[in-house]
Amino acid sequence: MKTGVPVAVSFVAGLIMVVSFFFNEETTKVGGLSQELLNWLIIVGGFTLLLGVVSITRVNWSGVRQKKEGWIYKVFTLISIFAMALPSLLPESWSPLFGRSAGSIYDWLFVYLQAPMMATMFATLAFYIASAAYRAFRARSAEATLLLITATLVMLWRVPMGEAFLNLFPGDIPAWLNTYIMNGANLAVQRGIIIGAALGASSMSLRIILGIERTYMGKG
Amino acid sequence: MTSVAILQIWIVAFFTLALFSFLYKDNPVYKLAEHIFAGLTAGYQVGLVWDTVVIQKLWDPMIYDGKWWLFVPGILGFLMFARFWPKYSWVSRVSLAFVMGTTSGVFITTQLHGLVLPAMKSTMLPLGGGGGLAQAVLAIIVVVGVVSTLIYFYFSKEHTGALGVTAKVGIWFIMISFGAHFGYTVMGRVSLLIGRVYFLFYDWFGTFSEIF
Amino acid sequence: MNIWERMQVIDRRWVYLMVALAVIIPFIIPMKFPISITPETQSLYDAVEALPDSSNVMLVFDYYPSTMAETEPMAVAAARHFFSKDCRVITLSNIPLGGPSMAENVTRLIAEEYGKVYGVDYVNLGYKYGYVSVLKGMGQSIESIFPTDNSGTPLSELPIMDSVVNYDDIAFIFEVADNATADYWIAIVNAGYGVPMGVGATAVMAPKFYAFVGAKQIVGLLGGMKGAAEYEILIDQKDAAFKGMDIQSLVHLLIIGLVVMGNVSFFFGRRKRSREKS
Repeated sequence: MKTGVPVAVSFVAGLIMVVSFFFNEETTKVGGLSQELLNWLIIVGGFTLLLGVVSITRVNWSGVRQKKEGWIYKVFTLISIFAMALPSLLPESWSPLFGRSAGSIYDWLFVYLQAPMMATMFATLAFYIASAAYRAFRARSAEATLLLITATLVMLWRVPMGEAFLNLFPGDIPAWLNTYIMNGANLAVQRGIIIGAALGASSMSLRIILGIERTYMGKG
Repeated sequence: MTSVAILQIWIVAFFTLALFSFLYKDNPVYKLAEHIFAGLTAGYQVGLVWDTVVIQKLWDPMIYDGKWWLFVPGILGFLMFARFWPKYSWVSRVSLAFVMGTTSGVFITTQLHGLVLPAMKSTMLPLGGGGGLAQAVLAIIVVVGVVSTLIYFYFSKEHTGALGVTAKVGIWFIMISFGAHFGYTVMGRVSLLIGRVYFLFYDWFGTFSEIF
Repeated sequence: MNIWERMQVIDRRWVYLMVALAVIIPFIIPMKFPISITPETQSLYDAVEALPDSSNVMLVFDYYPSTMAETEPMAVAAARHFFSKDCRVITLSNIPLGGPSMAENVTRLIAEEYGKVYGVDYVNLGYKYGYVSVLKGMGQSIESIFPTDNSGTPLSELPIMDSVVNYDDIAFIFEVADNATADYWIAIVNAGYGVPMGVGATAVMAPKFYAFVGAKQIVGLLGGMKGAAEYEILIDQKDAAFKGMDIQSLVHLLIIGLVVMGNVSFFFGRRKRSREKS
């Protein structure tokens, strides 16, 4: 029961999707069924996002209740969750501050806090990559040297000042880089990785549908 | 510029600088900003999923369009929350299995049809395709690169003999590609920083003349 | 400890300071280097340019606020190009965090520039959970996946959707992405329904997408801020990405310098250590 039902559900749902691929989606029954399942997937999957939010709220709440280290910060996390979520759940007809439209609390918090903070978090990566380039990017072996030379050439090519520098040399180096590095060696490797990853994803999907792969169910 | 607009810009500037302060060292202001950010991120998803999924895809069609059968995915969705009660957490596996099974079903066909086959087809090009010597050289580079990369990631057999040589060629190709990747990544990371510096220089500094 | 060894243990905050200066200096002293157009950007521009006027097109905002500085200029340039050709633009997002809000804000702003009307010339479908089901489901019926637009108006009440049922009615898809959803647009929508596509990808993702350009699965590619700057030049609307390229130049130069300095100090430091050993 604990594993049999989930395996059966996974098999039937997967089989319908595979079979529907070979039939006309708009005119056949199996096409209609697959469309219905996709709609169901949106609904069920949506709840997983809510599950995540409930989980983060529980973890932070228990941290505050037990006054764990840094609990005061967790209070701000909880306040932020509710400040963002609650007004968005209330109907817009009550007040323009509710709902998700422009001018709502939800929209304001997104535009003036959430989006710029997320952008700033990632902007710090520019500093880290510079530091990593200085400390770790070493020509210790032939392979590492090749990586380093390619990286330097591509960095030069991608910026106007670097491209102007490359153009000082005879031969069209920027065009050569685009043709033989990006559309040659790089394209080949990326294609190899795409083929390998896609075959891996397909075989894993088959294992899930057939009930061989069950790790997603967890223990018990 | 209105005083509300100025205040908004200063709020953004405060949190921008608070997060940048971590570059110097960890500090309480950074921690505060970090936790507020985490909370807002979680809260954003509640509003979005409630409106676009629960209301638009479940409640309205079920109540107003007569699609009563949608109670099935609705129940499957609620079963996800069984994870919070260890005794009944196995029930959530049914919902998870539905998500995994449906997605896997789509993946089997789309990964092969949409990624593997086009990639293989475009690798098998005629050498005399009318593109001249340069095109032929490029076609050879691509074939050698694709095959040697695949061999490099093939771990079911020890990399010795011909397989070892091919894998060695593969690692050279991979290094070139990863080098290109690094070069591009630098641009990506710097772009994000430019965005924030633009804000500080133009928007935030712009308010200085209004205030002082 | 000689100078080479000292260079290897330099406080990382000095490096951060150098990066900060490299970003700030071009604000004060602008440089004017020409930006060349790569074939991948040119082919994407040509494909959009070749669309018949008033075509139905999709502009997809599959990026998070974190990469806005890099991706938004692409979305803005694409919206400008589409509106200048009087295309009917359908926007959507597969990103649960900010995607629909950014689609709304960007498209409304650009639509105003061109005097376009919401619901007639453009629409924002918003977001629905699960890109696999969204992308696959729209192949049969867009309305079954998005019964309403982002603000809850039923699609049947929007004139722009009168002539749109599914992908058969879409002439072109312009995907702006900072994550793997772009792969699924290619694998599910382009391969399954044959809709021509172009991708604006972050620089981190761009090298991978050369493989899709080579396989002719996408007509062209904008790679990072440089790609966006090239597109801005092509549509003759130089904006944020074009301006950012000056800063990119100096920071790239700094990082190349740091790599060289790091290696020089490493080799001289190693030579000293091996001399001391012997």
